[in-house]
Order: sequence, then C-alpha cells, then structure tokens
Amino acid sequence: MPPFVMPFGTSDWSAVLPLSVVALTPLLVLLLDLILPKAMRRGAAVTIAALGLIAGGLLALQGWGHPFAAFGGGFVNGGFTIVFEEVILAGALISLLLATHLGRDDQSGGAIALLLWSASGAMLLAGAANLMTIFLGLELLSLALYCLCGLSSRPSAREASLKYLILSSTASGFMLYGMALLFGATGSVQLAALLAPPASTTLFTLGCGLFMIGFAFKLSLVPFHVWTPDVYEGAPLPVTAFMSIVTKAGALAVIARFAYAALPQPQAQAILIPLWILAALSMIAGNVAALAQTDMKRLLAYSGIAQLGYVVAALAGTTALGLRYAIFYLIAYMFMNLGAFAVVALLSREHEEGSRLSAFAGLGYRQPALAASMTFFLMGLAGLPPTAGFIGKILILSSSVDAGYAWLAGVLIVGTAISVYVYFKIVRAMYARTTGADIQRAVKPASLLPWLGVGICAVAILVLGLYPVAPSDVLPLVK
Amino acid sequence: MIAALILVPILAGLALYLLPRSADALAKWIGVLIAFGAFAIAIVYNGAPDESLRWLQRPFTANFHVGLGGLSYWIVLLLSLTTGCALLAMRVPRQRDFVASMLVLLGTMTGVFIARDLLLFALFWDFMLIPVFLILVAWAPGKSAGSAWRYLIYNLTGGLALLLATAAYGVVEGSTDVIGLAAGHGATAIGAVWGIWIFAGYAFAFLVKTPAWPFHTWMPDTYADLPAPAVAVVSAVQSKAGLYGFLAIAAPLLPDQMREATTPLFMIGLIGLVYGGLIALVQDDAKRVVAYSSLSHLGLILLAVFSGNPIAIGGAAVYIIAHGLFSAGLFLTIGQVESREDTRLISRLGGLGARNPKLAGALTIVALAALGLPGLCGFAGEILILTGLYQAGAIVATVIALVPIVLAAAYMLRLFQSFMHGPELADIPERKDMRPLEILALAPLVIAMVLLGVYPEPVANVSPSVSTISLPSAGIR
Repeated sequence: MPPFVMPFGTSDWSAVLPLSVVALTPLLVLLLDLILPKAMRRGAAVTIAALGLIAGGLLALQGWGHPFAAFGGGFVNGGFTIVFEEVILAGALISLLLATHLGRDDQSGGAIALLLWSASGAMLLAGAANLMTIFLGLELLSLALYCLCGLSSRPSAREASLKYLILSSTASGFMLYGMALLFGATGSVQLAALLAPPASTTLFTLGCGLFMIGFAFKLSLVPFHVWTPDVYEGAPLPVTAFMSIVTKAGALAVIARFAYAALPQPQAQAILIPLWILAALSMIAGNVAALAQTDMKRLLAYSGIAQLGYVVAALAGTTALGLRYAIFYLIAYMFMNLGAFAVVALLSREHEEGSRLSAFAGLGYRQPALAASMTFFLMGLAGLPPTAGFIGKILILSSSVDAGYAWLAGVLIVGTAISVYVYFKIVRAMYARTTGADIQRAVKPASLLPWLGVGICAVAILVLGLYPVAPSDVLPLVK
Repeated sequence: MIAALILVPILAGLALYLLPRSADALAKWIGVLIAFGAFAIAIVYNGAPDESLRWLQRPFTANFHVGLGGLSYWIVLLLSLTTGCALLAMRVPRQRDFVASMLVLLGTMTGVFIARDLLLFALFWDFMLIPVFLILVAWAPGKSAGSAWRYLIYNLTGGLALLLATAAYGVVEGSTDVIGLAAGHGATAIGAVWGIWIFAGYAFAFLVKTPAWPFHTWMPDTYADLPAPAVAVVSAVQSKAGLYGFLAIAAPLLPDQMREATTPLFMIGLIGLVYGGLIALVQDDAKRVVAYSSLSHLGLILLAVFSGNPIAIGGAAVYIIAHGLFSAGLFLTIGQVESREDTRLISRLGGLGARNPKLAGALTIVALAALGLPGLCGFAGEILILTGLYQAGAIVATVIALVPIVLAAAYMLRLFQSFMHGPELADIPERKDMRPLEILALAPLVIAMVLLGVYPEPVANVSPSVSTISLPSAGIR
C-alpha cells in the first residue's frame, strides 16, 4: 500500500491542466524577471506569457468531445468550458499584445504574472460547477485585478483600484449570502443539487436572486454598473482591455451554466426574468450614458455594458441556439472591442494614453490605415455590415424572436440605434476636415505589437461576419 | 461574375488607398473605368443564372445569392452609368479618397439591387450608408455635421427596423433566400400577427429611404451638402432602393399586408407629391429645388406602386429610371454652375446663358425631361402612371397627381430662367463654358433620357418584381 494516496486521479488533474499551465507560467515569468537584465525583461515576460497562454489554449482543445466531471463535480470539463476557456485565453493574449503600456519596466514582470493569474481564475470560472469553485475562481480573478488596476502612477488609478476593491467585495458579499441561502435550501454546494425541487422555495428564490445580483455586478449590468467606467478609466489600458473581455467571459460562463443547467425546470423561466430585464436596461442605459463620454476608455466601458446586455439577451428563453449565439456574439465583441483598444494603444505616447476623443481628430488624414481599422471596429460595435457584429445581432434578434422574447429584440434595436451615434461620433472626428484648430502630428507608437492585435481583430471580424461559425455542443453541464 | 459587380468596386475602392495621395488623376480614371466596366458587365450578364453561396443554416437558411434581371438590371445600369458620368466630370478636393468612397458606394448599392436573399439585402442596405456618411463628413461644406448625422440616424433607424423584420421573417419562414423566388411564397405561413409587424418594419425602412413624407426631413440637407457627383448618384439610385423594396420584396412576399396598407400609403404618396412640389417652388438653393422635386416625383411613383395596376407599375419602373437620369443630370449641371460661380442660389445667379450656351443647352434638356416634356423620359413615366391610376379607378388621386406636374413646370422653368436668363452678373470676371469632358459626362445621360422617352417599352415591360411573377392586383376602388 502506497504511503500517500492522491485524493484525485490523473483525469481530474488533466481536466484542469490548461488552467494549471496558465497559473504556473507566471512563476517562470517572475523567475526570468529576477535573472534577466532590465532591458530584456518586458520582452521576455510578454513572450513567455504568450507562449503559456497559447500552450494552455492547445491543451484545452485536447479535451473536446470528452466531457468529464473532475473533482467530484467541482469542475466540469466539456464543450462549454472549453469554448469559454479559449475566449478567455484569446482575450488575455490580445490584451498582452498591448502590454507595452503596463507599468514601468521593472513592474512589467509582476504585472504580467498577475494578468495570467487573473486569467486562470476566469478559466476556473468557465468550468466551475459548484458554489465553492465558483467563489474560488471569482476571487482568484478579482484579487489579481485589484492590484493591476492601481498599477499606473495617476491618482485616478488608485481611485479605480480602491473603488473596484470595495464594490467588487460588496458584490461578492451579496453572492456569498446568496450561496449560503442556496446551500440552506438544498443542503449541497453542487450546482447539480439545485435541479431538484428545493425544500424551501423562499430560501431558494432569495438565494438565486442574491446570486444573480452578485454576477450582475461582475457583468456590470445596469443598475449594478456604476463602478465600471471609473475603474476602466483609471486602470492601465491593457488591464482595461483584459477586464472588458476576460472577467465578462468568466462571469457569463457562470451565469449561463446557472441559467441553463442548474435550475429546477418549471420555475426556471420565472426565476430568470429579472436577468432579461437587467439586460434590457443595460442595452438602453449603457448606450445612452455612452453618448456623453469624451474619453475612449469610459466610452468603451459604457458600450461594454450595453454589449453585455446584448449577449445576455441572447440567452433569454434559455434555448440551445441562444447560447450558441451568445457565445458567438461574445467572441465577436471580444475582437471588436480589443481591436478598438489596440488602436488606442497605438495612439498612446510614452506617458499619456491616447484615450481622449481629441486624439482621434483628423486621424483619417494622419494615419489612414489606423483610422480605417478603427472605423471597421466601430462599425462592428454598432452592428453594421460587413462585420461579425452585424451577423451577431441578426442571430440574437432571431433567437429572441424565436424564444418568444420579441420585446427584448425591440429593445435591442432601440439600443443599437442610440449606439450608432456613440460610435460614429468617433468616425466623424477621424474624418471631419475641420475638427479642432491643432492638427496633431502622427503619434509614433512605443511598440508595433498592438498592430498585430489590430490585424488579428480586423481579420477575425471580417471572416466571422462572412462565415459565422457558432460552436456546437456547448450546452453547459453541471455533473 | 455577377458577384464581381459588388466585389470589384469595393475592393478597388479600398485598394485606391494604396496609391500615393497625389495620384488624383489616376484614381479618377480607375474609378471611371470600373464604373463603365460594371455597366458593360451588367449588359453582358443580364438574365445570367443566379449565383449562390451558403451563408447561414441556422436559425434560418440564408445564402449569398445574387442575380441580375428584371427591374434590378435596369437599376444597375442606371447606377453604373450615373457613377461613371459623375466621376468623369468631377471637381472635388482629395480626389483619390473621394473616388474610393464612390466606388465602395457603387459596390454596396449594386449589392442592394442584385441581392436575392433578404439578409444579404439587409446587409447591403446598411452597408451603403457608410460611404455616404463618410462623404458627408469629409466633403460637406461648413463645420457642422448636422446633415451627416441626420442622414445616418434616419436611415439606420430604418435599416434596423428592416433588420428586425428580416430576422422575424427568417424565423417564421425558415429561409430568407426568397427574393425573386416568391411565387406563392407569401401566401403560405406568414400569419396576420407576424405579417403586419414584418410589413411595418419593411415599410418604415423603405419610406425613410425613399424618402416619403413625413420621413423626408433628412433629405434636403443631405442633398444640399453632398458634393455634386455624390448627390447625383445618391438621388438617382439610392433613393430608389425603397421603391424597389416595395416592388421586389413587399409586393411578392407580403401581398395581403401590402393590400391592407394601400390607403395610408396612398395618402403618404399624395401628400408628398403636392407638398414637395409646393416647397420646391419657393426654395432659393437650386439643389434644394431638385431635392424637393424628388420628394414630389417619388410620391408619384409610390402611388403607382400601390395602385396594383400593371400599367401604373410599368410606369413606376420607367419613372424610377427616368427620375434617376434627370435628377443625376440636374445635380451634375448645377454642380458645374456652382463650380464656376461659387454659388447655386437662384437669387444670386443670372444671365449665364449668354456666355455659356452649352451649359444652358444641357440644363434645358435635363430640366425639360424633369418637367415631363413629351419625347423625354419623364413624360413616358408620368403618362403611364397616370393612365394606370385612372384605370385602377383612383380618379381623385389621378386628378391630385396632375397638380404637381404643373408645379414641376413652374419650378423647373424658374430654376432655368433665373440661372440662364436675365442680366449678367457683374462680379465674376471670366466664365468658361463646359469643358469637353463635362459634355462627355452629360452626353450618356441625355442620350438615355431621349431613348427612354421615345422607347420605354423594355423598361415598362419588366415584370415589377425581380422574378417573373406578376403583382397581385391591389385595386383602389
């Protein structure tokens, strides 16, 4: 008899192998940060981290087609989990390309390590199927981000960090209370246990409500969105880009798993109605608030609130097609949004992020290629052809109409109509002849790496727009 | 090869940005070549078999399905002809960028008219707004972008309604690949509940785009602010997308709803007809005169479309092309006057005819075509529409429709008279008559106006829809 028995087998560990790789790569990054001369550190850190993310992505693909409930149902690997893991990894990778603006040179190693740990937390959320792993993943995701938000030396960075810490902790509190009530109602922390009719309906409903409020905070759905613009504005650009995709993907994975697979059937639709109402509110309020913004990061924060509203709206009615379209739109949004962030990164100078709208004035004449790319990304965000945003909207519209939520489709149309003004305000600034007296000189970007991000995003948006492939076999599992 | 009508202009337009900024002349000739090339290809491939490529399978079937024939064939000819002519004689700053936008506009608008799939139609419907918005932003005079916003927001709101209607149609019918294959299609599954909403979405989009009263308020500013070559193409062809939509999509796919909507749309058409004509009488800006005259003329076509009478619908097809020809001609001529005199205000111009006989001649012909002189294209369309309306029994509408024809004579002659006759202006030292290139640019349009005026049958006989089915008779009793 062996002296020490591992409590879980190799198949349990192989289910979390991708996220383990992503969680261990930072150790290598930190080690190299100690050894290498100062000039090489940032390059080495970005390279190692990128390789780690790519390795994680390839490893995750290995699990396709072999659904497996690891750790006694704590982490369920399957098509759903893998798709979200890939989205998270891709989002982290593209954010990494913008990382020339992440802290000082001597901070970059640590910052990139934190970024990867945060991503691994999101990956844990993608597969989490009991309340404990959900909370674990969420805290892993958030703790690293609290540090990252305060990284730059601006006063607004400290404000952002603190604000995020306090509000996010409050949300976690709501969620923990909800979890406790759910545990009280069902006697188990497994999501699968929620499927059975609960002993106490009041406890159960209340628990579900608090749980959803917690995740509405993380998804920054209206009216739980107030932290988003301030935090996005204060955080360094790559962190903002990262948060706009990775945290959203992680939280969406949990909400989708909860909505699709973890509710007792007759009551499920009634329990979820508040979520669709939040989505509708987000689509309108996010776009209306974005109208008044003059800072690109704030604008993208509000637009992100609305865009997540579209994604959640696709889930309405919890149809199988709706989930596929939500994932498709999330992927499209990832490329459109990160593309826009990459353009902002290319407009940034050494100590100044090019996120003011005035940085875009006359860009069409200074840097035509950059302006054309930005126009393309904004067209996508506004849902105009020939982008993935257009086809994504059509898919969401048809799934809402199909599921009997035509009113949600109507709200989506109204929100989109408002958003056109938001996005084309920037297009106008770029191409108008006489905006502002000073026509600035072309900015020489600190690094050409964001161009790679722009290229990847533009190609992805065009290709997904013409050949929309929504992943199949993605219904979430809880056991 | 039909798809090349869309792809080549768009790709060529984008590729123009690879040229150096100074290569203005080269860019212009590339643009002219591509536009007339599209004209030739369209003639060769008229009635060629449709081309289709799989796009979506779920939640409904949608294909990249394009075809050329019927009314869309004539509109594509009109589009490539006006684009070519407009580019040939243009005088705008930053010519390379302008040609690029115009080529993208050409490709996307061609897409609208040769799409045989509702989703593809919706794609190009929204896509064609972008180049016009960019032209308005970058080339409109003055600092305010009011016209650009009004254009984009109005039309995109319509476009989004169209998108929602398309999604709903796809969900209900299971396929959007229906344009031109619609025989008997509309009669099937679309129930009363869905049908009315889907029709409302399409009708709203089409009416905004046409534009019809009361959705026209974006139009005068847009037309006034666009540079002459762009406004020629937009007024000639983009404004026809809505009417084409009624004929090719609403009538075959939603015939019941179309019939039910006859009375309100007749009212809209009639109000636009009279209102546009009256406003055109008092405008000082020549471009706005033409803009409001368009409102009036398009109202007449709207009446014909909803009359359900085959003669009137044939007339609508003729007048769609005719209006395209003479409004493009008018805007190009006004643009040439403006480029010489730096103004296009009726109150400030006068006596151009004495020194510019060729320009005066050109304006005479297009103005006469616009006011409906027999033998030119405008008359052919008007007489067919009025005959058809009368035959359909809409006597009152026919009588009201005569009023703006009289008004047209008044405002067109007022425009012509104040530009060409009267005392010469003293403050402009030297005037040059039309350059050979400018004559060359107008000549094809004038020839087409005469041809269509004396021989409208080929256009009048195209079946109203893009396919061979005939319209259900709506009937105004």
